[in-house]
Amino acid sequence: MTNRDPMKDQVAIVGLGSTGFTRNGDESPLAMALRAATEAITDAGLTAADIDGVVATSEPAAKGPEEIAAALGITEATHHAKPSPVAMFSLLDAARAVFSGAADNVLIVTPVVMGPWNSRRAAADPWRAGTRSSILPIPEDATKAAAYAAWAGRYIHEHGATKDPFARIAINSRTNAANNPLAAVTEPLSFGMYDAGRMIRDPLNIYDMDLPVDGADAFVLTTAERGREIASAQGREAVLIHAATTGIVGKNDEDQLVGLDRTGQHVVVEQLRRTSDIWIDDIDLFYPYEGFTIITLAWFENVGFCPPGGAEDFLREHWNDDAQRLEISGRVLVNTHGGSLSEGATRGTGHIREAVHQLRGTAGDRQVDGAQSALVTPGGFFFNPQGAFLRRG
Amino acid sequence: MPADFEDDSATDDTALIARFGGHGIDRDSAAHFRGRLERRLLIHRCDDCGRWHHPPRPMCPACWSWNITPTEVSGRGRIHLLMTLHQGPPASGVDYADGHPVVTVELEEQPALRFTSTVADGFPTDRLEIGTPVTLEWVDRDGTPTPVFGLGEDG
Repeated sequence: MTNRDPMKDQVAIVGLGSTGFTRNGDESPLAMALRAATEAITDAGLTAADIDGVVATSEPAAKGPEEIAAALGITEATHHAKPSPVAMFSLLDAARAVFSGAADNVLIVTPVVMGPWNSRRAAADPWRAGTRSSILPIPEDATKAAAYAAWAGRYIHEHGATKDPFARIAINSRTNAANNPLAAVTEPLSFGMYDAGRMIRDPLNIYDMDLPVDGADAFVLTTAERGREIASAQGREAVLIHAATTGIVGKNDEDQLVGLDRTGQHVVVEQLRRTSDIWIDDIDLFYPYEGFTIITLAWFENVGFCPPGGAEDFLREHWNDDAQRLEISGRVLVNTHGGSLSEGATRGTGHIREAVHQLRGTAGDRQVDGAQSALVTPGGFFFNPQGAFLRRG
Repeated sequence: MPADFEDDSATDDTALIARFGGHGIDRDSAAHFRGRLERRLLIHRCDDCGRWHHPPRPMCPACWSWNITPTEVSGRGRIHLLMTLHQGPPASGVDYADGHPVVTVELEEQPALRFTSTVADGFPTDRLEIGTPVTLEWVDRDGTPTPVFGLGEDG
């Protein structure tokens, strides 16, 4: 464990690009990546000639950083990497490249691609058939996505919880997505609709699970100094990475995890505690991941809004019934873009993009006036818990 | 038992991989899956410190010993995780319309040593819950012995 954090406030997020997300995509993963990438580079006021680092996630079916660099006409790059596809792996890789001096302006490209493994429509698409595995998985598997249903059942058992807090996460997401033009699904969700949702892996139903989508996000990172110059020229606020980390526990095989009282989420939160000057009472916005609703309940508890098992009471007490959304202490909004359950399963890049839009003042109809800082917590329980405080600077 | 099971002990690597491909079988878990062909549930145990681990790995994560013996467990434990699948990959004898239970059983050999499977046909639905004692049984799925759990004895 380290208390060192020389990177604090030293890297800025200066470019954002997004294709928006759809259940009916008909573009190649490369086309989506390039749309987002060119938008992000342009948004930062830069050109291909300025980009000297390329980070592209290892999303199945997506292209690597070499092909992205070639397709964008980038001259040369002194940093290129292919991190795992949950948002902060790429964000931290790029930030560390900037901070170390390996590169000045690093592009991150994070496409998400529907495949035969998560979509019948994709399974019928001949352009995606090449990604199909010839090996049929077995039903009796509590790993990967299924693990979240198994542990949701354990959470309900241990805490005597009902599905009410799960429903509030899903409804909050849909309410907020209504004002997000990038979102795949924007129809409002009611408690009645949630309760009638098709059961997939009991106790989790269709509304507890993120939406497989096509689309891409892209980001450009640079030094804080240069970020301030860019922001000033554009009349925006600069947005800095204040503290950021990933975390795991060693015993992280999904069905061998000792318990939900000690997961990578706890490791992330403790590391942020050691390095951040901002904490949850200070933030204006909260972006907890909701690949599955159980993950979000755990983030609320583990970052310290409420004790273990306390999410049910907390979410009820901080629910705005007129607006049908969460407002922590009547002030802090949660997943203002609709998150993975409604915008689409971006693996957390949507959460970071939205936080940056809010902090620099470009969130359009969703803008929270004067937002100064945000906590973003992508990832689940096992292999990819992550967290970051972002701030104006 | 089908005729092609009579010489299971001689099953070569290619046949073993073909039979258990969906489980993600690899060199480190081969002994575990060979054990299934003999209807023995083998879990990796360290010869030096005595601790068990799962899924199968080549070295003991507790003491770094490479003296690992796939060792038969009692098959007794309690349901630790439970979910019911209403959709999933097609499999012989699995009907998602009624909901297919998946149980992660904490084995009595060691705290947090767990094995995931389903329950035997006829498992009492009112006992299908976290904490219920279970015991290992074997069923055939497409001619392959498959470990499942039946109701165990309270106590």
